[in-house]
This record gives sequence, structure tokens and C-alpha cells, in this order.
Amino acid sequence: MTLSEGRIGAVYQVEQVMVKESVARRLEALGVNEKTKITVLNRKRRGASIIRVRGTRLALGKPITDGILVKEAAE
Amino acid sequence: MSEKIITVGFVGNPNCGKTTLFNALTGATLKVANWPGVTVERVEGEARYKDRRIKVIDLPGIYSLTSYSIEEKVSRRCVMGEDVDVIINVVDASSLERNLYLTLQLLELGKPVILALNMMDIVEERGMEIDLHRLPELLGNIPIVPVSARKRTGLSVLLHAVVHHSEEEPHGQVMTYSRGLEAKIAKVRKALRDKYGEAADSRWLAIKELDFDEEVRGEYPLELPDVLDKSYEKQIINEKYDYIEEIMDECMVNKDRKAALTEKADKWLTHRILGVPIFLVILAAVFFLTFTVGDFLKGYFEMGLEWFSGWVSGLLESAGAFGWLRSLIVDGIIAGVGGILTFLPNIFILFLALAFLEDSGYMARVAYVMDGIMGKVGLSGKAFLPMVLGFGCTVPAVMATRALESEKDRRRTILITPFMSCSARLPVYLLFSSMFFGKNAMIAAYSLYVIGVLMAIFIALIVNKLRPKELENALLIELPEYKTPNARTIAIYVWEKVKDYLTKAGTTIFVASIVLWFLLNFNLGGMVADVSESFGASIGRALVPLLAPAGLGMWQIAVALLSGLSAKEVVVSSCSVLFGISNINSAEGMAALSGVLGAQGFGVLNAYCFMLFCLLYTPCVAAIGTIRRETHSWKWTLGMALFQILVAWAAATAVFQVGSLILG
Repeated sequence: MTLSEGRIGAVYQVEQVMVKESVARRLEALGVNEKTKITVLNRKRRGASIIRVRGTRLALGKPITDGILVKEAAE
Repeated sequence: MSEKIITVGFVGNPNCGKTTLFNALTGATLKVANWPGVTVERVEGEARYKDRRIKVIDLPGIYSLTSYSIEEKVSRRCVMGEDVDVIINVVDASSLERNLYLTLQLLELGKPVILALNMMDIVEERGMEIDLHRLPELLGNIPIVPVSARKRTGLSVLLHAVVHHSEEEPHGQVMTYSRGLEAKIAKVRKALRDKYGEAADSRWLAIKELDFDEEVRGEYPLELPDVLDKSYEKQIINEKYDYIEEIMDECMVNKDRKAALTEKADKWLTHRILGVPIFLVILAAVFFLTFTVGDFLKGYFEMGLEWFSGWVSGLLESAGAFGWLRSLIVDGIIAGVGGILTFLPNIFILFLALAFLEDSGYMARVAYVMDGIMGKVGLSGKAFLPMVLGFGCTVPAVMATRALESEKDRRRTILITPFMSCSARLPVYLLFSSMFFGKNAMIAAYSLYVIGVLMAIFIALIVNKLRPKELENALLIELPEYKTPNARTIAIYVWEKVKDYLTKAGTTIFVASIVLWFLLNFNLGGMVADVSESFGASIGRALVPLLAPAGLGMWQIAVALLSGLSAKEVVVSSCSVLFGISNINSAEGMAALSGVLGAQGFGVLNAYCFMLFCLLYTPCVAAIGTIRRETHSWKWTLGMALFQILVAWAAATAVFQVGSLILG
């Protein structure tokens, strides 16, 4: 599933980051890497989300959350 | 011991407190707020420690040494250049994990690095602990100094470390990558050495070669197809984060306690449906305060002005000053500049409210909340941040567009930012809405703010229809913790704005008032007795046919609008001079002005069109100058200025014509 389909409050593990190269590197520099655990804090209907990752909060637009593949993770 | 000046560069993630620390060390009063990307240029200052002079450079925040946006390039160029002796890596201890990524990159540069561990108080509040003995051991034994930039503690220890550390050999290699990568690094280093000679930062260069970094590869091209077979950037990033996880495991105690309050607030403030309405309510509250509290204070200013004007007039008369001189001073300068000063309370409250908004942490949320709407016009929610700043002043708002990643996005944002109603337009609304709209004055004025936002989005929509583009840079912004705004930060912010306003009154508005007085009191034959025979009247009359369809067909109005190009407040000050009203913002002043205007058939509809025109037409010369600087194009800038006049004219004409039909 993609992050844009995430449930508010659920914890996911990143499987793959499939967005534009420059954005992917930027996300990785911000700590969104493969296997990183992220929590969805808030999400709009279309998919833009706020996530908690490595102790900080990021707001991500839909094109980005569409490109982040995740799987459900244990807390 | 040499007495060389030590140059220190502040590097760190956005919003980690670099500028607060800079202000604390140098006594500067740069703007500080609680959202990422406030600082967009490098700024220099000086600090002293005992007898040593230390040059401090404040830089825009960056997440990594790979450069994407303008601000990142500025910072990177500065730290990588020769001029920085010591890097102070300012780190937000409350998000240590993410901040350490940049730290690891800085440590690879081979320059002396000092870690300023900021916001330790937040760490403690959250019940977390950082092992300050183990942390340096894992970071090559660099000095780590806990500081609080806001409370101004730890500052002299930090400066001591700078002086002490600038004379020491830099730390050794800090982290070791996996065997495969290290082998490649070694090979690239050797190749670099063979081709370009020994360099202190050869490890850094080798890693950047493996990153396929454009700048480094351009400067030091290498032919190593079997080693540099692809970009290893991703692997390098991942291994850094693996190392950071080790550090966190060892140094962070109780790291799972979370910042509950911020997330609770965000549940509502960034709610998928309520987010936008809440934002609009907050904006409405800002303007409500500006109007009510500002008006409450205004009375005192008016009394002061009246007294001063009378006193000067009396003084000049008893001194036997020439009639023209008395007219210049009383009718020109005091009426023009003084009239503007009576709006100071409203301006003060507006900036106070904006300061709270910016320092609370809500700003970054606005980017998220508005992302959906902005996405429809091909921009990300981040482009809305400069627009919010535009409520204060267009000049810093245009500069803030530097935080946007692409040049196209920047230009589009710059094009629409001037439609956001800046504080200089406030006096125009205050005056004309109270004169013509009575009880509904506040609604009339608020409607202009809303129209400004809608017009900005509408124009962006049209531009996007004409030249469709994909949303290239989707929203990606960090949301800081909410915090109680800091008194010092707010004081600096508001004082700087009030100072700007006073300075403008003393310079631009002062000069504009004098020029206007001359234009209105002279013609080719010398001083005139009747204003309507002056230069100003001739210029105004030439414009009347153009402005008549918009309900603005009075030569005085034309002159007021024209003079408003110098600064929008001048529209009001010129009304004082044009109609010879000494205290325009007082009840009597307003009655006099609305009387004169009303006698010429200038009614409610005309007043609204006038305010609408002021909202939309070309921003002041200061804004135009900034736009030219930021876009590097006169052609584009002038095209924009012309376009905005057309928009203003079209909108005012439409409202006037339709309104006339309805009102009969």
C-alpha cells in the first residue's frame, strides 16, 4: 500500500520510496529511508499527510505520499 | 598567540535556533520565528570573547549538504569555502536523531566542528535525557556545548570552545562505512590525490564523488568507471542513518515519550475539513484585533497630533514666518506625516498579532492546510507562507520565496504575493471604510483582505491554465513544536516593524508630502492661490478619463493613487494634503473629507472601488525594487507592475459598473 492510504494513528514501515530522484534524496536526508518506521498523525482525504518520523513531524503533499510504499508495522 | 579574527559559521537544520543564538551572541535583532525557512540570506555579526574578536556568520537552515534550494546553496558554499575557520553546528536537541544527519556530513568536511546543543530545556520537559559523555565519544570527541539560545545560557562556554578549538587539529574520521564503501572511498581518494594533489578534505571529496554530487564532480572530474559506476548517495545516506540509530540507542534515554500537546492541537488545527475554516477564523481574529484595539489607542495619537499641529502653527505665526513656509510645514509635512503616524496603533497591533502567529509554530501548518487549494494552481502549500508574510509587508514576503525549490514556482509566487493586503494598505481601508461604511466598516475592510487572497489564487489559476505545469515540488515541510511565543522574539519583531513604519514616515512619506505640496501649490506661473490650477491638478485631470469608469474620476483621487506608488500609506497622507485636512484620522477630519468627496458625488460605491483599486494595483517602489532584485529581470518586473494596474482597473471598473446598476 502507499502512504496516501494510511490510517490516522497507525504505524507503518517504509518499503520503498518511489518519487522523483531529488525528492527521494531529500526525504532520505530527512530520515525517511527504507525500513524507517513512521506514524501517520493526520491525513486529508486525497492523501496529503502529516507523519511522525525519527522524533519530528513532516507534512507531505499527495504526490509524495503516493510514492512512498509502506507496510503495516507493529507499534 | 595570533590575534587573528576567528570566523565562525552557524550551520544547522531549519528552525533549530541559529538566528536566536546569533542574536544572543552578537546583540543583533534579526527576525526570528517558529517555522522553517525564516532566514534566507547569510548575515554577519561580531562577538567577543575576552580579547578575541569572533566573526559570526548566520546561515539559512539546511537538512543536508546536498543543495536543492537557493538557501541551501548559500549555506553550503559558505561552509565549504575557505573563509570559515570553525563550524558551529547548531542542533535542536529535541529532534536529535534527524539533526545528527547533517552533523555527520559536517564532520566529514575535515574542519573543526563544535556542536551547540540547543533546546535542552524542551528535552528535559519531555522527560528525555541525553548522555553527554557518550555522545562526543561517538562523534569524534568534538566539543559539545549545551546552550539555550532563548534563555541565553551556555553562551560563554560556547565562545570559549570556539577560541580554544580554532587552534586545535580537527577531529579524525568519525564514522566508518561498510567495507565495500570504504574500499571505494579509498580508491577515489587515491585517484584524487594522484590527479589533484593532497587535500585536507579528500575524504569528503571522495564521498561526494560517490554521491555523484554535481558541483564536486564538475570541479574534480575523475575517470574511474569501475569504482564510480553509479551514484552511491542512497547507500551513503542509509549507512549514516544506521550509525545515527546506534548513537540514539546509546545516548538517548527515555526517547519514546512524545510531545503530546502539539499532536493534540494538530488534530484540530490541521483537520482535513476544519483546517481551512480555522485558518480563516484566525485571520479574521487578527484583523478584528487590529481594528478594535488599534482604534481604541488611536484617539490619544490624534489628540497629540492636533495639539502639535496647533502649537507649531502658532509658533510659526508668532515667529513671523512666511505664509508659504507655514503652509508647507503645517499643511504639507505635519498633515501628511502626522496623519500617517496616527495609524501607528493599528499597525502595531497587526504586527503583534502576526508575530504571535509566526512564533507559535502555526505558520508551517498553514502550508499543509492550504496545500490542497494551492495544488489546484500548480503550487505547493509552501508557496502560501510568503503570501501570509505579505499581510505584513510585500518586501520580506518576496524575499521569503527563496525557500521554494524551483525558479518557476518562485516567479508565480512573486507574481501573486503583492495581492495579499500589506500593512501599508491598512490606513487606506481604515480611513475610507470608517468614513463611508459606518457600522459595517470592519466587514468592508475584511472583505478586501479576503478579495486579496482570492485574487491571488485566481491569478495563479489563470496563469496555470495558460501555461499548465505539473506540480513539480510537492509539499515537504517540517512542522515544529508549538510553543508559547517568546517575549524577546515578539518584542524584536514588532519593534523592527514599528521602526520601519516610523522610518518610512520620516523619509518616503515626508518627501512625498513635500513633493506633493509643491505640485499642489505651484504651476508654471509660480505659486497658485487655487489648488485646481496647480501642476498636480493638471496631472490628475489627465488621468481622470481613464479612472472615471472605475468610479474614480476625480483629479484628487488620481493624484492620491499616483503618489501611492511611493508607498501605499501615501495615498492617505496625500488625501490630507490634497484636501487640506490637518488631522485626517480624527472624527472631524473624516467628516471634512467625506463632505468634500460627497459634494463631488463620491459615495459608498466609489469608496469601495477606491479601496479595491488600492488593494490590487502595483505595489510600492520598495516592493518593485525587491521583485526586480529577486527575479533579476526588469522586463518581468515592469510587466508585472503593468499587469497589476490592469487587474486593479478591471476589478474596480467591474465593481463600479455592476454596483451602479444594482444601486440604480
